[in-house]
Amino acid sequence: MNNTNDHRLHALDAVRGFALLLGVAFHAALSFLGGPPGTWFTADNSSNAVLGDAAFVSHIFRMSLFFFIAGYFGRLLYQRLGARSFWANRSMRILIPLVAGWAILSPLISYLWVTGVTKAFGGTLPPMPAMPEDFFPLGHLWFLYQLLLIYVAVIAVRSVIARLDPAQKLRGLVDKAVHGSIRTMAGTFTLGLPLAAALMSLPFWIYWMGIPTPDMTLTPQVPASVGYGTAFVFGWLVHRSSNALTAIAERWFANLVIAFVATGWLLHTMHATPMAAPGLTKTLYALIFGVAVWGWVLGLTGAALRFLSNYSATRRYIADASYWIYLAHLPVVVALQIWVSHWPLSWAVKFPMILVVSFAVLFASYHYLVRPTFVGKLLNGRKYSRKPEPTDPAPSPAAPPPADSVSGGPVAQLRGITKKFGAVTALNSIDIEVRRGELLAVLGPNGAGKSTAISLWLGLIEPDAGSVTLLGGEPQDIARRRGLGVMMQDVEMPKELKVRELVRLAASYYDDPMSVEEALRRAGLESLADRNYGKLSGGQKRQAQFAVAICGRPKVLFLDEPTVGLDVKARAALWTSVRRLLADGCSVVLTTHYLEEAEALADRITVITKGRVIASGSVDDMRALVARRQISCESSLTADDVRGWPGVIEVSKDASKLSITVTDAEGVVRRLLAADTTLGRLEVRQAGLNEAFNELTREAA
Amino acid sequence: MNALAIKSTIDTVTSLRGREFGAYLTETRYELIRMVRNSSIAIPVLVLPLALYALFVFVIGGEWITKDPGAGIFLFAAFSLMAVTMPAMFGIGVTLAQEREMGLLRLKRAQPAPPAAWVVAKILAGLVLAVVAYAPIAILAVSTGKLALAPGQVISMSAALLIGTIPFTALGLMIGSLTTASAAPGWANVIYLPGCYLSGMFFPLPKSMYWQAPIWPQFHAEQLAMHMAGVTKMQLEPVTMAIATMIGYTVLFAGITIWRLSKKG
Repeated sequence: MNNTNDHRLHALDAVRGFALLLGVAFHAALSFLGGPPGTWFTADNSSNAVLGDAAFVSHIFRMSLFFFIAGYFGRLLYQRLGARSFWANRSMRILIPLVAGWAILSPLISYLWVTGVTKAFGGTLPPMPAMPEDFFPLGHLWFLYQLLLIYVAVIAVRSVIARLDPAQKLRGLVDKAVHGSIRTMAGTFTLGLPLAAALMSLPFWIYWMGIPTPDMTLTPQVPASVGYGTAFVFGWLVHRSSNALTAIAERWFANLVIAFVATGWLLHTMHATPMAAPGLTKTLYALIFGVAVWGWVLGLTGAALRFLSNYSATRRYIADASYWIYLAHLPVVVALQIWVSHWPLSWAVKFPMILVVSFAVLFASYHYLVRPTFVGKLLNGRKYSRKPEPTDPAPSPAAPPPADSVSGGPVAQLRGITKKFGAVTALNSIDIEVRRGELLAVLGPNGAGKSTAISLWLGLIEPDAGSVTLLGGEPQDIARRRGLGVMMQDVEMPKELKVRELVRLAASYYDDPMSVEEALRRAGLESLADRNYGKLSGGQKRQAQFAVAICGRPKVLFLDEPTVGLDVKARAALWTSVRRLLADGCSVVLTTHYLEEAEALADRITVITKGRVIASGSVDDMRALVARRQISCESSLTADDVRGWPGVIEVSKDASKLSITVTDAEGVVRRLLAADTTLGRLEVRQAGLNEAFNELTREAA
Repeated sequence: MNALAIKSTIDTVTSLRGREFGAYLTETRYELIRMVRNSSIAIPVLVLPLALYALFVFVIGGEWITKDPGAGIFLFAAFSLMAVTMPAMFGIGVTLAQEREMGLLRLKRAQPAPPAAWVVAKILAGLVLAVVAYAPIAILAVSTGKLALAPGQVISMSAALLIGTIPFTALGLMIGSLTTASAAPGWANVIYLPGCYLSGMFFPLPKSMYWQAPIWPQFHAEQLAMHMAGVTKMQLEPVTMAIATMIGYTVLFAGITIWRLSKKG
């Protein structure tokens, strides 16, 4: 099952970028910890314990978070590309950067190590400590090597399982377990267990180091392989499970609370004993470390899914840049650290300075040397031209959705939408689309789901199932929303502001608004432009809201019950304005109780009742759908006389006027004339939309 | 790509940036206009701290200040802090609750308004109102010689007081996002007033009550002011503690606000 919603990928991309950039800050902090010289490239003369704690906290989760997201995208890519292309792709993006990066960076890093350590020891290089036999200076690129090892292992296991479990029974169970472990939050407490076991077995475990970094050897190390392997596999399984991401998003806050509490305990204990002999504290520390890792991983991922799902050009750029920046950052950061290490300044000045300068250099190098060149194509799979691109919502690595908002195509769509509020199903798998230049009237009784549908298009709420499109993209995307205008129900504008000011404020949100005067004129408000909103009548307020809705020259205009409270003249003026917008190519979605309004304006009508579309078509279609006619006459016959006649559905009598709704008009008229020779003012007409509408909604009830 | 095309692309990009900036500016401008026109909120917020300061300095505490110039600093800090924080609590918090109830927030989310524009506008307008409320007190204190601080110290303290509004802005937003318009002023008072007394802002606390003073944001805001103005006698906690607590409160209140608004709007 492939549940890759593009907007979720935006969030996960952001998380990956965050984890990598956090690594830059982590390394930048390492010279300010006040440890003995020789543990890092250099030791600064100003140190700070709080910075040390902050670095420790970031180090708890940053790489696990990276591997978790890598697992998710790993499976996504494997599903999308197949085995062969997957390996080709990974060779380009991971293996080549690892080999080339190591070849370029390791001489630089060795040079900086010697320089830094010499400076830290006051000018003489101390003797090197003994190195293990399998020593290999992998440096900070170890994570690429580790990632490749994990790819090999996971895909080998995957192919074995695929052979053993052809009917996906086992995997179905695993999917359920994954979802359940997130929903019940059991995962937060248990996913760290393998890691905890690996950490407990370490003879020398310095708490501060967290998972010991496997950067000095090519031999796989147990704690890193277990810890990051678990993260990767769980990310892989989360991609398998159709609703695990939703569960992660829902539990973001609780997971972060757990992360905070666990981290607090770790800090407290670490301050007491930085490294304990095997025993209860060490065991407990390892267990709680595992909880902290997963609290952070799931909490931060969930928070990103919750709050960063929409497309943002800035975040996209940063996420793209983060890979290059992490690969290239170490020499820059370390060189700065060595340079400033003897300056007589506080860490509070030096540390931010290192960050600012490093990021400036690294972002500039990305922008000019990587993004527009083959390096960018190698690292991110995409080469950008150097000109600033207009807001391009194409998500990566997902393919851009076809955006058809030109001539006749739909400008706004709801597809297979279900939306529940608690136990109430407001919309039940409905499909509605609005085409360019048409007016779609959405009719339905109160509580039918009309306003819910509009709220989905406006990006105010998200559907439980189905997809919402506005002008070829997601409605949460502000660039899309610049093409809409909206007049909502139950909205009061600030009463202290004048009508003109309200329109000017709204116009400031749009790229190419009409003049304030023009908007006021179209809404029939010229004479009230300088009156405070609070002093307007109910109808005038609606006119002011209409002016606010149209001032941005919208491509789609949403009007939710626009003419409630308007007098006849104002309503006619509003209709004229709407027709003019339609003539200019604007599409309009109108919900209304005034059926004459729909008849007067609509190209198409959709009737919703109880969250379902029960009829949809042109005004004529609607009338024909219910082939009933209305007979009225003045007659001495009573309603009871007529009621039993064949073809009669409903009769009412008001003074001497008889109103009959019939299916067989000719037959009933013949019989009426025969029964009452004094009958007068006979009139037969097609049932209006009013009746059709009542009929439709009654049948659905 | 020829030079003309490049220029037109650059023009488009800069004009887009300019438009977004324009939206922030317009939003802030109208937020200020609303505050000015809505004098029912502005006047008590502006007048009350000034009147109380004058009452305490000239009538009640006149002699005390002559004996101990520290008392003058203490009273100045107390009522100045009140002046700068009340707009945040009552101006921003209460209007946010009202606007939520009016559906205005929903409309703003639907419109292509830059997402942060209304918050930024509210915070900036609150700050302007804070400056307007604070300036008369500062002028009164300095011109009548009731504030025994060097000009540099007065400037530092003023800056500290304005920085001190940040957690209160976040608190105001939190109250506004959690309560209804009719309940918001009540809640703002319930949360704000006890802090003014129990933090030791209005009068020095007895020793037995020291333990609870750090609960209140007022305590830390005042401490920051004392540190930045270099009034060593009234520094009761390290400056890092004051800053850290204020950041902590800001993150907490703002976090709850964002969480609540994203859920309920």
